[in-house]
Amino acid sequence: MKTLDDFASQEGPEQEAYPYEGPDELRGPILQALTRVVDPEVAMSIVDVGLIYGVAVGDDKVHVKVTMTSAACPVTDVILDDMERELDKVAPPHMVVQLELVWDPPWTMDRMSGRARRFMGW
Amino acid sequence: MARASLRPRRHGAPAVVVARIAFIALVALSLLAGISGGLLRYGVLVPGAAESAWLGHAGLFHAALMICTFLGTVIGLERAVAVKLTAAFAAPLASALAGVCLLAGQAAAAGWLLVVASLVFGWVNVVVVRRQSAPHTQLLLASAGAWLAGNLLFALGEGGAAVLPWWFAFLVMTIAAERLEMTRLMRRRPAAPWLLLGVLSLVVAGAAWSWLSPRLGGVAYGLALLLLAWWLVTYDIARRTVFAEGLSRYMAVCLLGGYVWLGIAGVAWAATALGLPARDTALHALGLGFIFSMMMGHAPVILPAIAGIKLRFGWPFYVPLAALHLSLAVRLGWGAVESALRATGATANAASILLFAATIGGAAFAWRLGEGARRAGEHS
Repeated sequence: MKTLDDFASQEGPEQEAYPYEGPDELRGPILQALTRVVDPEVAMSIVDVGLIYGVAVGDDKVHVKVTMTSAACPVTDVILDDMERELDKVAPPHMVVQLELVWDPPWTMDRMSGRARRFMGW
Repeated sequence: MARASLRPRRHGAPAVVVARIAFIALVALSLLAGISGGLLRYGVLVPGAAESAWLGHAGLFHAALMICTFLGTVIGLERAVAVKLTAAFAAPLASALAGVCLLAGQAAAAGWLLVVASLVFGWVNVVVVRRQSAPHTQLLLASAGAWLAGNLLFALGEGGAAVLPWWFAFLVMTIAAERLEMTRLMRRRPAAPWLLLGVLSLVVAGAAWSWLSPRLGGVAYGLALLLLAWWLVTYDIARRTVFAEGLSRYMAVCLLGGYVWLGIAGVAWAATALGLPARDTALHALGLGFIFSMMMGHAPVILPAIAGIKLRFGWPFYVPLAALHLSLAVRLGWGAVESALRATGATANAASILLFAATIGGAAFAWRLGEGARRAGEHS
């Protein structure tokens, strides 16, 4: 059996998965939290699929812009619940987790990470 | 740790809970009655139902119960949850109530309720297309049109030869649209979406043609199903995700197994149209082998979304899946030679579906146990 890790780049680290604004000490934990949210249909994390459009950490909130591959996707709320649950584990207690579902610009396969594209045979 | 969220939460509102329970009860009623009616056709009586009037109606309207009031309601719920509009739930409500009417012997009322359901469902899909105009959302809208066509013919009293190709086209196009969306992730020939459009156009042409000429229309329809199986095997991401692990691999196994049955159904559909005795294979390789296999694959993902039931996935999910495919092979394979085995296979098909329901129950219980342990760990 294979996981996405088997398709990691041999040519150094991949470029940043999404724009991030906020303190450096939260950059890694938030990326790890979002990477733990997996879309089982495609066997990849929402970060690898390229669903995260940006993360902004302010004084009192973690704001995440996220999209879905389809407007007819009934699993949207489940994915948002999982994101809240994972972000809740890493954000400081006084912060609100704010998720914003956006449809513009629409998702395209160009947003997939390098290892996700290799996994899917690109 | 408790934390405020700016995303509105509606999961736990009392009205939502009541609506969920009502829908679960109505969907379960259609499924169980539909299965009972199917078994009745093989002379198998479900315990305690021998003298019931509803059982006769369930036998008569087996296809309407399984396709429209069970699967149609589930798909209507799925789409309503996706668009997040309360009015969208009118579609699954109408189709679920049509199931009650069918069991009460009120076929005309059921027929027009299904027409209403598919009209509302069409509007919901227009909303989806307006939000995201893409080939897969446009295909979902077309699938609603196929359901409406089948429901109109049913309401007008047409028989299975005219109605069934449209009803199955609704399900087949729904699945194809969802798989088309997923193929965007995989490297594919630029012509792939156009090939699918051609194949599905043949499905629609075959369905329409079947009304006028069952023989030629049926051959075209069967050929279209066979070509669709080829397209799915060639382009679906399941070819990749079957090498993943856990739930993703299970879903891929369900999909790939279903595609084999879809191909068999295509051949059997054309053979039936040419007068060969393959009707059971045509209908149930498609309905059970393809569509129910697909449903078993997606239930662990869809149920948390539409029924609020979270599940812990594990190997037991493979047991009812294997039982369904094996019992279908007995029914449609050996059953073609030894007719007694067809009833045995059909009964085992029903048992597989009930076993799947029990597996879902067990997985929900396992999730609750795991969640309880996790919370206890957090508070200790």
